[in-house]
Parts: sequence; structure tokens; C-alpha cells
Amino acid sequence: MLPTLSVSQFLTQINDIIAGEFVIEGEVSQYKISQGKWIFFDLKDKTGCLNCFSTVFMLKQPLEDGMRVRVSGYPKIYEKSGRFSFTVQFVEAIGEGSLQRAFQLLKAKLHGEGLFNLERKRPLPRFPARIGVIASGDSAAWGDFKRIINNRWGGVEILLRHVTVQGDSAIQDIVSAFREFNESAELYDVLVLIRGGGSLEDLAAFNSEEVVRAIYTSRIPVVCGVGHERDESLADLVADVRASTPSNAAERVVPERREFFSELDFIKDRWIDSLSHVVQLLRQDVGQYQQMMFSGLEMRLGRLRDFVRSSEMLFKNIDPKSVLKRGYSITRDEAGQVIKRANQVDKGAKLVIELAAGKLEARTTKPLSPSLPL
Amino acid sequence: MPTKEIKKFNFTKAYAELEKITTWFERDDVDLEEGMKKLEEGSELVKELKNYLNTVENKIKELKKENF
Repeated sequence: MLPTLSVSQFLTQINDIIAGEFVIEGEVSQYKISQGKWIFFDLKDKTGCLNCFSTVFMLKQPLEDGMRVRVSGYPKIYEKSGRFSFTVQFVEAIGEGSLQRAFQLLKAKLHGEGLFNLERKRPLPRFPARIGVIASGDSAAWGDFKRIINNRWGGVEILLRHVTVQGDSAIQDIVSAFREFNESAELYDVLVLIRGGGSLEDLAAFNSEEVVRAIYTSRIPVVCGVGHERDESLADLVADVRASTPSNAAERVVPERREFFSELDFIKDRWIDSLSHVVQLLRQDVGQYQQMMFSGLEMRLGRLRDFVRSSEMLFKNIDPKSVLKRGYSITRDEAGQVIKRANQVDKGAKLVIELAAGKLEARTTKPLSPSLPL
Repeated sequence: MPTKEIKKFNFTKAYAELEKITTWFERDDVDLEEGMKKLEEGSELVKELKNYLNTVENKIKELKKENF
């Protein structure tokens, strides 16, 4: 005789029997989110249908009807409703079409949150001293990165944190690497996340919300260089600088030696130009002083010339000859001495009178007022 | 955990010095004699920067988890 169970007891027993983790593959249908928190959808194949349940918090990847997915979780009958449901803890898209759709949906969601906004992109320091690299240590991407850095620049310390870039542990590994570098953020000028190209499935980690958020919250600016130019990953979109390839990432983080040398030469030329300009100005100043000196001299000469001219006039006016022309005459004694007083000559003395034209000889008959003062 | 090392030649400092000289030369009242001195100093810096970049190599370290 079977024991009689209560409904709750029966459900508990059933739940114990079916307990366990399962991975199931199927196509999504009737996908809906309730109250912004609860996710319900059916997982179908040609003949079967499975009710699935999850929460927005657990399922980072938005889904859409028709997508092929692989879910992992556990089955359960809910006591209150008696409804059988598969609780989904993790989901991943399968096949190029579904992956593409999953990529687009997540991209739209994160874009809506502003994670790809250009305003939040940080500039990189021009001369980084220490660079943190997150890459697979044996990848061609890491090899290319090192080679290009060494070709371009010197004196940089590069620290590689090796990560698995593909497979189940890739997401956690990359997220940890970002956390570890950020624990001593002040030591690093830039972080570089690189890997070679691949299919959408290969790049799954670089398109995962966890890695995108790790880049978004990094306190150190991030350069992302994934695959070849045609590959676009969500990690690229959220990074501060998006490099097209790992080699391009190296080009974006350090300057090029020869270009820098040309810049140095250019700077030096500008200093020299500045000095030449000063010399030119000084030369102009000297020219101006010269000019000023010449015009000063010119002015002095002019004044001298004027002085000579006026002196000439003065001399002309006091020349005795010109006085004689006005009717005056000069009287001299026999010795040629100019007679200025009447008492200078005796009666009968011979005098020579000079006129404006010619001379007269005369004799004194009587000096008048002999002692008249001059 | 990696620590910051003090290098004999500080690239960033040297470049900052170079920029200071450039700013000096951009002013309006450049003194010829002082300018000649600055030009000489600057040329020496340029030479040192070039020399540094031509000779010093990058240091590459692969971190193990326990480095953090």
C-alpha cells in the first residue's frame, strides 16, 4: 500500500527526483519580460515544447523568438501553481544567424544605456610609461603587438596578463584581468585588450555584457584591438580607443620614433626662427637709430648753414665800404691812423680822406671842438 | 605588484622641459642673449631625447596571477 502524500509533499518528492543541472538546445518562442524582471519563454524543437523561466538579472543576453539557443539550468515544479518550468541560468546563442541576432540585441541594449557614448571616451597619454596588456600569451596578436611597439618606441614597460580569449572561462578570465589591473590603476597609463580575428562564436567573450562592463568601468583608459578590420565587437565599441587590429592597437598607444624626431627638429627650427626674428628686429632698430642720427646731424648742419648766412648779412652791414657808399668818409693822418678826435691833428697837418670812390688829400686849417668826447 | 622605477633619464620630464622652452620662445619679448642660452639647452635636450629613444629598449614582462 502506497503512502498517501499531501500535494506539497508530492511536489517536494518530484522536485527531488528531477533535481539536477541540464543543458538543452532549442528554439525560442513566446519570449516575454514581465514587470521588467521576470523572463518567460518556450524552448521548442520539432515536436517538443519546454516552459522556461529566468530573471533579467540572470540572463544578460536579450533573446528574440526564432533564435536558436543553448540554455543551462534546472527543472522545477512550482508549488503554488503546479506549473512545470525550466529555470534558465545561462543562455548562449548558437549558429551564425542567432549569434548575429543576439549580438544586435545586446548592442541595442547597451547602446540604450549609453555605454558606447562618444562623450565618455578618454584620451590616451601621449607618452605612456607603463602599458597593461590583456591577451593570450601565445597568440599572434600578442606577438604582433610587441613587435610593433618595439619598432616604434622605446623605454616603455609592458606587462602582459595572459588570459584565455575563447571558451567557457574566457569571460571570467578577462573580467578578472581588468579587475586586477584596476586594483593598482595608478601604475598604468593604458590597458590594451587584444586578440586575433575569428567567427562570431570565437569572439563571444568580446561580445559579452560582462567584458563590455569591465571595459566600461575600468579606471585606466582601454584600447581594444580585436581581429581584422571587418570584425566589430562590443568590446571595440565600449573601449576608449578602438583599434582595427592588435598591430593597430600598438600604433595607437605609442608614438613613432622617426615622426617624433621630425617633430623635435621642427620645434628646434621654430626656436631658431624666433631668434632670427629677434635679430631682424634688432637690425631694424639699428637702422632706425642710424636714420635718427643722420637726421639729427642734418638738422645741426641746417642750423649752422643758417648761422653762416645770417652772419654774412651782419658782416655785410658793418663793412665800412658799405658805410662809405651812404656818404660817410674815413679820415686818416699821414701815418694812416684813423682820426676820431679833432685834437688828434695839428693845424696844417696833412689828411687823407677815403670816400666810397677814391681818396682826397687835404690839409687842416683849424681843428674845431678839439676836446669833444667821442 | 610592479613598482615605479626611477630611470636615469626621465623622458616625461625632459619633454616637459622642452615644452617650457617652446613656450618661452613664443613670447613677444625674446631676449637674444637668453634665447641663445635656451637654444643651446633645448638642442641638448633634443639630442638626449633622440639618444634615449634610440638606445633604450622596451621592458616586457609577462605577469603571473601571483604578481597582482
